[in-house]
Amino acid sequence: MIVADKAIEYVTFKAGDEYLGIETLYIHRVVEEVNVTPVPLVPTCYMGLMYYRGEVFGVVHAGSLLGNSEATVGETPRIIVLKWSNKKLALVPDHITGIWRVEDNKGGKASFRFQDYTVRIVTPEEIWEKVSGLSYGPHEV
Amino acid sequence: MDLTKYENIFTHESERYLKELDDLLMKAEEDVGNRNLWSEIHGKIHSIKGMARALSLDKITDLSHSMEDWCKEFQQGTTEATSNAVQLLFKGSNLLRVLVARKGETDYYETQRRYNSLHAHLKDGPKAWKDKAHHESPPLSPSTPEGINQIRVKYSLIEELLGLSQEILISERRLPTLSHEQLNPGLKSWLDHYRSLMKGLYFRLAQLRLMPVGDFADLFVKTIRDLSKQHNKGIRFEVIGGEVQADIALLDRLREPFMHLIRNAIAHGIESPEERVSSDKATEGTITLEVRRQRNSLIISIGDDGQGINRSAITRHLRDTRTMTDAQIQAMSQEEFFNTILSPEFSSSSETTDMAGRGIGMSVVAQAIEYLGGSMTIRSEPSKGTEFIIRLPLSLSVIHAVTFEMGTYTLSIPTSNVESIGRREHLSPEDIASSYDFRELLGVNGGGEVLYTLKLRHLVEKNGHNRKDGDIKLVVDRIIGNRPLMVMPVGELLAKVRLFAGVGIMENGDISILLDVENLPQVQSSSIGKSIND
Repeated sequence: MIVADKAIEYVTFKAGDEYLGIETLYIHRVVEEVNVTPVPLVPTCYMGLMYYRGEVFGVVHAGSLLGNSEATVGETPRIIVLKWSNKKLALVPDHITGIWRVEDNKGGKASFRFQDYTVRIVTPEEIWEKVSGLSYGPHEV
Repeated sequence: MDLTKYENIFTHESERYLKELDDLLMKAEEDVGNRNLWSEIHGKIHSIKGMARALSLDKITDLSHSMEDWCKEFQQGTTEATSNAVQLLFKGSNLLRVLVARKGETDYYETQRRYNSLHAHLKDGPKAWKDKAHHESPPLSPSTPEGINQIRVKYSLIEELLGLSQEILISERRLPTLSHEQLNPGLKSWLDHYRSLMKGLYFRLAQLRLMPVGDFADLFVKTIRDLSKQHNKGIRFEVIGGEVQADIALLDRLREPFMHLIRNAIAHGIESPEERVSSDKATEGTITLEVRRQRNSLIISIGDDGQGINRSAITRHLRDTRTMTDAQIQAMSQEEFFNTILSPEFSSSSETTDMAGRGIGMSVVAQAIEYLGGSMTIRSEPSKGTEFIIRLPLSLSVIHAVTFEMGTYTLSIPTSNVESIGRREHLSPEDIASSYDFRELLGVNGGGEVLYTLKLRHLVEKNGHNRKDGDIKLVVDRIIGNRPLMVMPVGELLAKVRLFAGVGIMENGDISILLDVENLPQVQSSSIGKSIND
C-alpha cells in the first residue's frame, strides 16, 4: 500500500465502550495464540506476561485500564505489541476494528470520526503513564 | 600488569583492520590515483600502528610507520601511486598479518629476512621504488588463509535466531492430538528426540547473548584515557572478575549509567596528582570495576580511591529541601544518607557546585538500574574513596530453580536457595505451624490445606541480618520440578512489586516468576505473609 507522505495510519480498536487509535509507528506486531502468564501482586488490568520472539512483554487489558465497564476479551485475543523509545507493552483490546489512515493530522487532533463512531487517539506513553501509576506489590492486610 | 587481554584485543582488532586494508588495496589496484582511497588506507595502517605502539610492539610499529609514509605521499599527491607500489603495500599487509599473529616477534629466519628486505624498500620511499624495474625481495607466495575460528555476528541476528527457535517450540504446542494408533513408538521416539534437540538449540542460542563483563569494561578504556587527559589526572582502570558473563542487553543498558559514574569519579572523585601526593597517595588514581556473582544476583561495583563524596552538600540539601534537623540527619544510616544523591530533587538541585557534582544525573542512573530490577548502594569515606555497588538479578544466565504453583501463578525459587521440600504428610506439626502461607497475599484462594513446604536456605537479608537455614518456609500448592530457567529482567513495572528477582523462561517457553528470596523475610516479618497458625 502506498501511503501519502503526510498520511498517518492508526490501528483502531475497541476497549470497553470506547474506540481508541494508536499510530502504527508504535505498533511492533499484532499477535495471537500467545500464552499470557498471570503474575501476582499487580493491578487488575495487568493480565500478565507473554514471551514472544525472545522478549518478555507485560500484557495489559485496554478496557480495564481505562475503567470501561463493558470491557470484554475474546477466547483467543489478538494482542497489540507496542514498542517505543526504550519501552514496550502489549495491549489486549476487546477487538481490533481496522487500520485507518488520516491524510494530514498536522493539527494534532485528539479524535476522529471513523465509520459510525469516534476514535480517540492515544499514545503508548499515555498508556504507559496510566499503567505505571497504578498500585503494585503487596498491600497491608 | 597482565597484558594478555590487551594483546588479544590488539590481535582481534588488527585482523579486522588488515582485512579492511586488503579490501582497500584491491580497490587501489584498479584506481591508483584515488587520493580518498589512500586516505582510508592510511587510516587503517595508522590504527594498527597506534595499537602496536601502545603495546610496545616495535617491529609492527616501524613497519606500519613506513607504510604510512607511502600512503601520505600518495594521499597528498607528492608522488604518483603505481600498481607496483600497491603490490609492495600488499606485501606489507601480509607481513603485518604474520607479525600480528606472532605478537611482533620475528623469531623465524625467513620472517626476519622478509621484514628487513621490505622495511628497507619502504624506507627508500615510493619515488625510489617507482624507478626500479622490479623489486629485489622474493615474491611472497599466496598463503592459505588461517582457519576461521571466530566470526562477528550482529546482535540482531542472534535475537532473530532466538525468536525463531522459540516460535518452533511454541508451535509444537499446536501439534494436533494424535490417537494411540497414530502415535506409534517410532513417531513418539522421533517427536521426543525433536523436542530435545529444539530445547537444546534454544538454550544454546540464548547463551549467545552472554558476554564477559570484562569485554564490556574494555569499552570504557579509551573514554577513561580521554577524560583523564581532559582533567589532567592520572587514572588507572582495574577490572576484577571480568570473566563473569552477563546478558548483552543488560550490559548495554548499563553503558550510560556506568559512563556517568566514571565521568563523575574522574571529574569530582579523584584528586589532582598534586593533591594526591600531598595526601600520601599514589599520583595515579584508580578506578576499579569489580564483578561477582552472589547467589542469584550479579554484583557490579565501580569504585575509586579519591576524596570521597563530600557530605556537606548532602547535609545542606537535607536541611534545606527536606527540612530535616541535624539530629535526624545524624540518625540516618550511611546507606540512606548517601542515597540522597539518587533522588531527583538532589540531581536537579541548583547547587551544582563541584561539591554536588557527584549528584548530578544520579537519579537517571538509579532509574536505569531500577528498570533492570536492580538496586544500588553507595559507600564513601572521606579521603579513601567511593564505591557504587549495583546488584542485579542474574539475567539471562540459565539457572536451576524449583518451580511451583500457588493458585494460578507459576513461581520459582533458585534451587541453591532451597534447602528441602516437604510433602504435607511428611511435615512435622512444628514445620506446618511455622510455615508461611503467601497464598492469601497473592490473592489465591488457599489458606487451607498445606500441600508442600519449601524450606529455604539461610539468607542474608537486605538489612544485613542472617537467617538460619530453614527459617523461612513457604507453602505451595504443587511442585512442578527442578527446572533450568533463562532469567530475564523484570522490567520497570514489575520492579515496583519488589518481590520478583526476574522473569524465568522455561525450556518449553513458559514463564515462571523468579521470587526475590532476599526480600521475602521482609514480607514475612511485616505479617502480611501469614503463618499457617494465624
